[in-house]
Amino acid sequence: MMDLLELFGEHPGWYFVAATLVPLLSFVLILSASALWCAVRPFRDTPAGAALFNFFGGEERGRTPAYVATGAIALAFVLSLVGFLRFTIQQSEFETQIQQVQRDLYELRVKAKAAQGQDKEKWEEEIEAKENELENKEKMWESARSYAWQGHFDWLRIRPGSLRDPDRGTVLQLGYKIDSLSALMFVMVTFVASLIHLFSIGYMSEELQPEVEDHQVHTRYGLLVRRGRFGRFFMFLSLFCFSMLNLVLADNLFQVFLSWELVGICSYLLIGFYFERQSASNAANKAFITNRIGDAGFILGLLILWTNLGTFHFDELFQRLRAPLRDSHGTLQLAGRFVRGDLDPARAADGSWSLKYSPDGAQVVLFPLPQDRPEHYHGVGPDRDDRVDVFEAPKKGQHGSMPYWLLVAAGLGIFLGCVGKSAQFPLHVWLPDAMEGPTPVSALIHAATMVAAGVYLVGRCYPLFTYEALLVIAYTGGITLFIAATIAVVMTDIKKVLAYSTVSQLGYMMLALGVGGWVAGLFHLLTHAFFKALLFLCSGSVIYGCHHEQDMLKMGGLYPKMKITALTMLIGVLAIAGIPLFTGWYSKDAILAQALGFVYVHPQHLLLFLLPLGTAGLTAFYMSRLWLMTFTGKPRDEHVYEHAHESPGTMTMPLVVLAVCSVGIAWGWPIYDAQASWLEQNVHHAQHHAVLADFGNIDYTVDQEHGEYWVVAKRAEENERLYAYYNHHLAGNLALGLVVIGMVFAGLIYWKGVLDPAEAQEQFPGLHAFLMDKWRFDWLYSVVVVRPALVVGSWLAWFDLHVIDGVLHGVAYLSVLLSKWDGLFDNSVIDGLVNLVGNAIYSAGARLRNVQTGFLRSYVLFLVLAAAGIFMVLAYFVRMAAAG
Amino acid sequence: MTLTVGLTHFLLLGALLFVCGAVCMASKRNAIGILMGVELVLNAATINFVAFARYNPIFQVEGQIFALFVIVLAAAEAAIALAIVLNFYNNHLSVDVDTAEELKG
Repeated sequence: MMDLLELFGEHPGWYFVAATLVPLLSFVLILSASALWCAVRPFRDTPAGAALFNFFGGEERGRTPAYVATGAIALAFVLSLVGFLRFTIQQSEFETQIQQVQRDLYELRVKAKAAQGQDKEKWEEEIEAKENELENKEKMWESARSYAWQGHFDWLRIRPGSLRDPDRGTVLQLGYKIDSLSALMFVMVTFVASLIHLFSIGYMSEELQPEVEDHQVHTRYGLLVRRGRFGRFFMFLSLFCFSMLNLVLADNLFQVFLSWELVGICSYLLIGFYFERQSASNAANKAFITNRIGDAGFILGLLILWTNLGTFHFDELFQRLRAPLRDSHGTLQLAGRFVRGDLDPARAADGSWSLKYSPDGAQVVLFPLPQDRPEHYHGVGPDRDDRVDVFEAPKKGQHGSMPYWLLVAAGLGIFLGCVGKSAQFPLHVWLPDAMEGPTPVSALIHAATMVAAGVYLVGRCYPLFTYEALLVIAYTGGITLFIAATIAVVMTDIKKVLAYSTVSQLGYMMLALGVGGWVAGLFHLLTHAFFKALLFLCSGSVIYGCHHEQDMLKMGGLYPKMKITALTMLIGVLAIAGIPLFTGWYSKDAILAQALGFVYVHPQHLLLFLLPLGTAGLTAFYMSRLWLMTFTGKPRDEHVYEHAHESPGTMTMPLVVLAVCSVGIAWGWPIYDAQASWLEQNVHHAQHHAVLADFGNIDYTVDQEHGEYWVVAKRAEENERLYAYYNHHLAGNLALGLVVIGMVFAGLIYWKGVLDPAEAQEQFPGLHAFLMDKWRFDWLYSVVVVRPALVVGSWLAWFDLHVIDGVLHGVAYLSVLLSKWDGLFDNSVIDGLVNLVGNAIYSAGARLRNVQTGFLRSYVLFLVLAAAGIFMVLAYFVRMAAAG
Repeated sequence: MTLTVGLTHFLLLGALLFVCGAVCMASKRNAIGILMGVELVLNAATINFVAFARYNPIFQVEGQIFALFVIVLAAAEAAIALAIVLNFYNNHLSVDVDTAEELKG
């Protein structure tokens, strides 16, 4: 017990490890309890068996699994929260000191610039001292962090050594690494998941009955009747939460990949929860197979990284790929960037090549890890040596190199995995179909776990992405967000609208990550989790209240019937639309500002700003449409309206909590300042310096006007971050204008009835049909992938049936024939020979038995005759011997 | 010309006696007769042993000892054989050996 306290005291990262393991424990508990239930059930007639059977719940299994799973995730939330607070406190202590030094340094530089002659030298000495102090402070924070918040152990060790690092051997590790991003993700995931668990207790109560009638499955004998699956649902939820938390916890790509696949299988199990329904099992398969395509890319990326760098650790990967901040002479010009160059064809005697720096060389330099660097380290780049010796298999402290195109491919491969998981174009097709699962699952997948994993990984792996890969990420996000929003405008299924809005919002996050808005993208991930969970649970409440009616064309005027659901959903709608002071406003404005900054520097990528800007208006339109169609106007279907009712307390309570979070979770001081959100500042701490290096000058200083936090870059003339900072309000106001237009438009059509949506449909029948068909992606994939695969499959089946089976049948026929011949030979020749020998011996014996007459006298006669014979033969030989 | 009695004569006598015994064994159906034939054969062997003891100095002691052994053996054999004959008679009420054919295959 004391050891445990000491562990949590010394290594508070274990709060998060514990928070990860608690849902796993809950999963194992529920699983083993149900296994024991199955094992005990056959013996329920005996007294002892009956006692055990009743202990495990008997035929009426009750809500125990739900309480176990909910308790586990709630405990995980508490642990995460404690861990988060401890981390934030420790981090802010160090960050305050570091920022103080940075500010001093800035002031010194300003003074040095103004000074002349001897004074200048004095200032420069002081600057150098300050730089050293800064470095020491940063190192202190690094070591404190790695002691308290990081750890790992060897999980699999395989000899011999890896290709690049022969000394270490192939080691796969499990570990944890906490920074403010993962701490925030932990709190967000466990919090949202706790509420979703709570909501599910009410929503899934139908499954408690021993016999459940599925209204969507018709069998020969009427509706399908099956056993309730209450426990199984919560078991899967627990596994899902564990997988997601493990993914966030991981300090290496391999562990991420493990959790990645676990998340995939959990989504498969939960989407296909009603697997008797054809549509649900199809959707589960679609989600799983689509994700496999992405995972193939992920594996390729992993293989490239492993072959070239010999490690999966995030820190080691980044430290080897990105140039260090400083060398022994001070800050480097290429700090935090990739250093490229070309190899000289000649190879030195020690097996190294000389690499010459060039901005677009074919090779990337792999730097030695900081702990392996020599005492006096000399950097590479235009401001230092432009040559460096690189080794094919670098030992400790040596430089290596890998082809640049392979690095691009690795980045794109990992991104492909994220495209699948986060439902980005062109692999977004699985997510809307995933609505076949129970609504709490949709909320869990879409808000807190699965789709967040892709965005989170792109953020985590940011330093691996080259400029080309980032551009692909940005455009993928841009295309996704637009396509999904246009489809959401015409959907009438309440959950499908939300599904497409999720795809669209994920597109925003990806776009932000691609254009350098690392903080903005992950900030949006966190805020989106709250309001999207809220929206999904609200839609679940509506569906529950309308007795499993999902079509908005049968709803309308539900506001008086379910006021809590309607009001909380309205808050979700305002948050996602980006109305000021709601969470979505802070994060979406940050994304748009960053996109605008990017477009300023790269005008040729104007689309990357126009797409998200226009889509902001579309989002406001379709979300308002959703709310207005559901809750206002006249009831479209009297039957649904009459039976509609508000959901019970366990379901509305999470709605209220999430609604409160959707309003206030991102507030900062002052509230009206879009750039002062505390959540955003917290994400900021986790930002890798590579982001600043790529989209702003690494040698950042502190803006005097805006206080200590807001870092802006020095090179004002070509810097995305600077433009983004100064044009935040421009981007935000443009978007707000479009949002207001979109909402007013939706209000005119669906509330006031000024315009009739049916007329608009008639005017653009082609466009409407195109959007209703979801841009015909399913048709496209069916034509391009599924049908060709079926045709090729039928060819292969024909080949199999006729050629391979023909050959097999021929061979079988031949061997039967051969066996017949062989049998004949066996029967006649071999058996004949054996019989012949047997018969001969038998007949010889039969004849010889006549000798045994049984008469004593004949025996004596033979005896005497034989003796006489022997005597004569002997006599003959003796005679011959004597004569010879 | 004097006829010196030598080894050959003894051996011829032994051979003659052996043949007599053998013929006696082969021709008699009476068990006692056969027993007598056996005695003749044994005595033929004894004559040979004694003759070799007389004419072959290397064999002087062994020949006589073997002869004594054979005589003792013959006595023992006669005792056993007569017991067998008695039993045979008890079972078959005759001493005709041809009546014993129960073991014939």
